Amino acid sequence: MRRLLAASVMLVAGMVKAVPLAAVAAALPPAPSQLDVQAVYLFDFAKFVRWPEGQEHSTLTICVAGQKGYAGSLTRLAKGEQIDARPLAVRVVQTAADVAGCGILFVDVSAKDQEAAMLTATAGKPVLTVSDIPGFLDSGGMIQFVVIDQRVRFSVDLRATTRSGLGLSSELLKVAVKVNGASGGTP
Amino acid sequence: MTFHPRESLSARLTRMNLLVSGVVLLLAGLAFFSYDLVSFRHTLIRNIGAEAQIVGENSISALLFDDQQSATTTLMSLEQSPDVKGAILSDAEGRVFAKYGQLSANDFAGHSLGAKENHRVWFSGTQVIVAHRVDFQGKTVGIVTILAQLSEIGRRARQYLLIAGIILLFCMAAAVGISSASRRLIAEPISKLADTALLVSRDKDYSVRAKIPVDGSEIGVLVDAFNTMLTQIQERDAALGEAQAELEGRVEERTAKLRAANRELEAFSYTVAHDLRGPLDAITGIAFLLSKTSEGAEDPAMHGLLEQLTASTMNMGMLIDDLLNFARASTTPMKSVPVNLSKIAREIAADLTISDPRRKVEFSIVDAPEVPADPGLMRIVLDNLLRNSWKYSSHHDNACIEFGAKRERERIVYFVRDDGAGFDPAHAEKLFAPFERLHGKSEFPGTGIGLATVQRILARQGGAIWAEGAVEKGATFYFTLG
Repeated sequence: MRRLLAASVMLVAGMVKAVPLAAVAAALPPAPSQLDVQAVYLFDFAKFVRWPEGQEHSTLTICVAGQKGYAGSLTRLAKGEQIDARPLAVRVVQTAADVAGCGILFVDVSAKDQEAAMLTATAGKPVLTVSDIPGFLDSGGMIQFVVIDQRVRFSVDLRATTRSGLGLSSELLKVAVKVNGASGGTP
Repeated sequence: MTFHPRESLSARLTRMNLLVSGVVLLLAGLAFFSYDLVSFRHTLIRNIGAEAQIVGENSISALLFDDQQSATTTLMSLEQSPDVKGAILSDAEGRVFAKYGQLSANDFAGHSLGAKENHRVWFSGTQVIVAHRVDFQGKTVGIVTILAQLSEIGRRARQYLLIAGIILLFCMAAAVGISSASRRLIAEPISKLADTALLVSRDKDYSVRAKIPVDGSEIGVLVDAFNTMLTQIQERDAALGEAQAELEGRVEERTAKLRAANRELEAFSYTVAHDLRGPLDAITGIAFLLSKTSEGAEDPAMHGLLEQLTASTMNMGMLIDDLLNFARASTTPMKSVPVNLSKIAREIAADLTISDPRRKVEFSIVDAPEVPADPGLMRIVLDNLLRNSWKYSSHHDNACIEFGAKRERERIVYFVRDDGAGFDPAHAEKLFAPFERLHGKSEFPGTGIGLATVQRILARQGGAIWAEGAVEKGATFYFTLG
């Protein structure tokens, strides 16, 4: 069952080269790789983000840009799940032209060349932008993964989220390594 | 003189008051304490539950994003609760994620939530463990477990004891106060009454009165009734005394009259008997002279008449002797010298034998020791008894008369026994009454005074006489001296 699911995801994503890897990863017990952790975090971020009104019942689409294949893990995580009563969907995007309709956009470090275009495409729109590209926040991104002591952590830029009309829960900010543009400062 | 019971009424009242207030206080204190304990426990459990929930909520992001530092910080907020000794936060897989306090994992061992449980409380002694499942968006992200020590309960118990002790002291003071009031109202009057009652029953002095201010209570009624009773007893005593004195006076008066009458009667009968003796002697003498002078004349009729006259005067002489003896028995002054009764009995037996030598009578007389008595009176006694035996065995050809003595307990009982006519035991009491006779005069001559005289003499000497016998089986007269 899981294998079929993973295969279908791969088909949607069109990541033919990654199929054997993804299939193996899906079949094995989840290894706590940074990639997987990031996927889980991405999923969990959604739970602490408040999108503008009018989107309460629409599908929340998590878009993944880059060559790394954890879209499969994400799809598996999102299967049958809802966040704030919104159904979830996972989509792989190649260019900035594809980002329309994304609620969350993850830009992998492998898609660094697309970073600026994608940020431009999502600027001012209610799209939570997440990436592990160093300096992502300075580029106008919202959440950036960092690895500290082999643990995946993240920093947040509140100015970017505020501009886009997104609200971030204080709970999320509490566990962030750094929060830029916070009036009070990090706990 | 005061009545000293083992425990005074007022002490009892005080003790009772103390007991009642102590028990009430104890029960009330227990009730309050139990209620407080229950509600306190309840509140505490609820508070700790709420804390577990808050800590859980605040730990969601830390759990999701693997931020142990943040979780630890969140747990540190439990510092604000002094009862909480420790807490652990475990992730969805049950691994310890963060902890607080100086407790080891063992302290929480065995206190894990079941798969379907969201919240659970374990209570043992003063220790409470609360486990709370942390759910977020329909998924378990972790479990908060808090351990609290209800040290507060012990502190509260001590506080309660202290308060109860203070109130008990107040109660004791109040009880003492109340009992002093009750002593004035109840115990004192009653103990005064008890004192008076004791005095009355000990000294038999019915003139005392319980002097207690009387009110309308039962004690007042008691005191009143007691005093009234004493008055009644006193009145009755006086009436009884009067009646007794009157009675005694009357008895004395009667006795004196009776004695005087008796003395007069005795003096009269003595005088009569004594004065009759003179003319009788003259008649006897004249009859003798007549019979002498008429010896020549052959007039049988006159001879017979003279014989009858002589016999009658002899009878009358005997009667006068008996009467004089009887009178003397109670009036003669008594002597007390050693008397040999056996010797007297032998002399009388010899006299009797000589008086009628034709009779065959065997006398059996023991040698009794001498006794202190009046010899003259004792001679009258033995003479009467032996003469009776002689007389009442006269119709038997052979007779046996016995005088004996035997020791019975501390006294000597003498007896005179014959095998003569005897008597009917049914009439034994008539034997010793004056002028009473059980046999006809024609059968056995006699005056009927002899045994009455004997009885009187023996009674004067402090002795007694009684008889045993049956018709034609003989008679035994027993007597004692002093």
